[in-house]
Amino acid sequence: MNGGLVQILDGNTFVVSDSRGDIEASLTDPTGLFSFDSRFLSSWILTVNAQRLNPLSVDDLQYFEARFFLVPGTGTVYVDSKLSVIRRRAVGDGFHEELTILNHDEKPADLKVRIDAASDFADLFEVKDALEKKGKYSTQVRNGSLHLRYERETYKRQTTISASAPAKLDRKGLTFDVHVEPHASWTTDLDVVTAAGAGGTYIRPKYERGERRARPNMERSLERWLEDAPRLECDWDPLKVTYRRSLVDLAALRFAPPISGGRSLPAAGLPWFMTMFGRDSIFTSLQALPFTPELAATTIQALGDWQGSRVDDFRDEDPGRILHEMRYGEMTAFEERPHSPYYGAADATPLYVVLLDEYERWTGDRKLVRAFEREARAALSWIDDYADLMGNGYISYQRRNEQTGLENQCWKDSWDSISYRDGRIPGFPRATCELQGYAYDAKVRGARLAREIWKDPAFADGLERQAADLKRRFNRDFWVADGEYFALGLDNEGKQIDALASNNGHLLWSGIVDKSKAKSVARHLMGPRLFSGWGVRTLAEGEGRYNPIGYHVGTVWPFDCSFIAWGLRRYGFKDEAAVIAAGILDAAEFFDGRLPEAFGGYERGVTKYPVQYPTACSPQAWSTGTPLLLLRTMLGLEPQGDHLIVDPALAENIGLLALLDIPGRWGRVDAFARGRVEVAPELRRRAPA
Amino acid sequence: MDATTQFFEELGTRGHEPLLEKATGTIRFELTNGKRKARWLVTVEKGDVTVSHGNARADCVTRGDQAVFEQIVTGEENAMAAVLRGAVAVEGKPELLVHFQRLFPGPRRS
Repeated sequence: MNGGLVQILDGNTFVVSDSRGDIEASLTDPTGLFSFDSRFLSSWILTVNAQRLNPLSVDDLQYFEARFFLVPGTGTVYVDSKLSVIRRRAVGDGFHEELTILNHDEKPADLKVRIDAASDFADLFEVKDALEKKGKYSTQVRNGSLHLRYERETYKRQTTISASAPAKLDRKGLTFDVHVEPHASWTTDLDVVTAAGAGGTYIRPKYERGERRARPNMERSLERWLEDAPRLECDWDPLKVTYRRSLVDLAALRFAPPISGGRSLPAAGLPWFMTMFGRDSIFTSLQALPFTPELAATTIQALGDWQGSRVDDFRDEDPGRILHEMRYGEMTAFEERPHSPYYGAADATPLYVVLLDEYERWTGDRKLVRAFEREARAALSWIDDYADLMGNGYISYQRRNEQTGLENQCWKDSWDSISYRDGRIPGFPRATCELQGYAYDAKVRGARLAREIWKDPAFADGLERQAADLKRRFNRDFWVADGEYFALGLDNEGKQIDALASNNGHLLWSGIVDKSKAKSVARHLMGPRLFSGWGVRTLAEGEGRYNPIGYHVGTVWPFDCSFIAWGLRRYGFKDEAAVIAAGILDAAEFFDGRLPEAFGGYERGVTKYPVQYPTACSPQAWSTGTPLLLLRTMLGLEPQGDHLIVDPALAENIGLLALLDIPGRWGRVDAFARGRVEVAPELRRRAPA
Repeated sequence: MDATTQFFEELGTRGHEPLLEKATGTIRFELTNGKRKARWLVTVEKGDVTVSHGNARADCVTRGDQAVFEQIVTGEENAMAAVLRGAVAVEGKPELLVHFQRLFPGPRRS
């Protein structure tokens, strides 16, 4: 639930309603039935004898199913408590609702039950930006169904509503004349079916082809999903709650793009970002690799199939580039937005190669690595041929679509995320530091794949030479000597964008940092300017733009911290990684195990509570993946050949920790650990005084 | 010769197309121009491509106005946007078209 709203979803079809189960959307109000980035119902209001209902309780049975318990009447005085109403709703190619009315009275009840229905067919982008529609609406009652339609040239969308019980249909909804005997009940099934049209016909949803009703499309049940994941045993109960929450949310975030043969990859966030995002899908797949490696396989395939193949300025597409975001709505269809797909990300392409290599290290799936050799080579070529905008040997970015493209094409994508110490904002192109780390890692890992799997030692040698040269130059050009950390980036004149930011942690993860510099980088990450006690701030306290509740300029992002912890481990800072893991997992406890996208950068000792940054999306994929990656770093899990190395370092309070049946090229193995890292007492949560 | 004919005829001469190496199957393109219908049948076997006018059963059928295809094969129109808009209809396996659309050129740059 989110601000009193109830969300259920299946892939990219979702319903957001109020706690009565009603949908009452305005152009700017985000409730409705959505599918493929369009709203198919903006109104769905239940009345009994012309009265709205009161919610007693809501059960989120599953992520795709909810049940609403209601009574007639408004306000606090129940007009008629002799009736109960239950709406049980499941989503899938629209939704199915079972509406039941129970008569608790000794007398029969005669009721007028009404559902008002309408759709504005808004594009998700229109919901966000409150834009006007350009097409025509029509409604029709035919063959016992109510059809709501929207048409703009060849673009057609339709919602079809029908009921199992006898109903009077009109163009604004359905009316039931209901007679319920004493202590008896009345029920009807309601089906709301979404359809997209092309060339005069509509693509029929599956349950018009034999399936009786809307049901979830996901290929595996939640139970199977949970059973297949490693089992966690632990002395510290909150970690068990967080772990289970992560697995359940990750299941909900699975998204099967139309071309993946029904297999799923992690979408970015629920519900507004239930689509393929290059960066988010890759980071989440990396986090989840030790737990659910099949997500990585689908991500590699789907992103590979959509890899850029031409130069297209509107979409910021280049040959070899990995997509940023795919959308299916009306504005994308009419090229008022570039998301068909949009390619404006500078990090997804090198990260694609990183994921391919890490996937093989865990699973030993050489077949997939061979199958995607061409895509991996194209991604590596993109780094040199298309991403070096300044000709200085570094990846930098500058959008070519100046109307609707993205300004900042790194994960910190808000307008003010990249700044100098004094708060000034640099010009374009910008070469942020973590991009160089990813490029380095992609070349090193690409070389391994070339040598061991593609059997091309000359290519491998070349990549290794390039990587070594990049590392040497990077450690010279990005090192802020008077601060002893790496600059946030280089500006359009090749000068350092000298603010201290969390990006330094991603550099450790990539391996681009000279050993001699790692200690001071780690000291900054764990120092008071960056480390809040909960996690690492996106921007250091004291920088010109620092703001503890600024989106990318001071908040703590759990996902960011999980990769920083991985980076610290990579350079041998085991205890430091454990302290960050402890902080983030402590924070998770405040959110019942569901980490938000970001929380405030306030000092832990001051607020005693991680202040959530208000965003619409929850759960968010890479926040959901964070506890999984933290488990990996705490246990020190590292594939080595056909074995899994376990080298734990975790906070004392966690006690005994066991992760059982970790899947990989070794089959299934168990990892055991005991907490021994002391976390400074002032960082631990204390009861409010 | 129209641009669509040129595109398919040129494709037929390639023999092997690396961008289609993960695709196997047949795509039939049905192009409407008033009352006339032009058909192109593209058979892909792990990147090996043959092009004909045949009317065999296809794994993926793509239909639309000749005018829209003229724009797609010259890079003035994006194939995916045309599909989302309903200007091009796809039946059967859409993944074949996802692979195939990589062959269309980008827009001419000003």
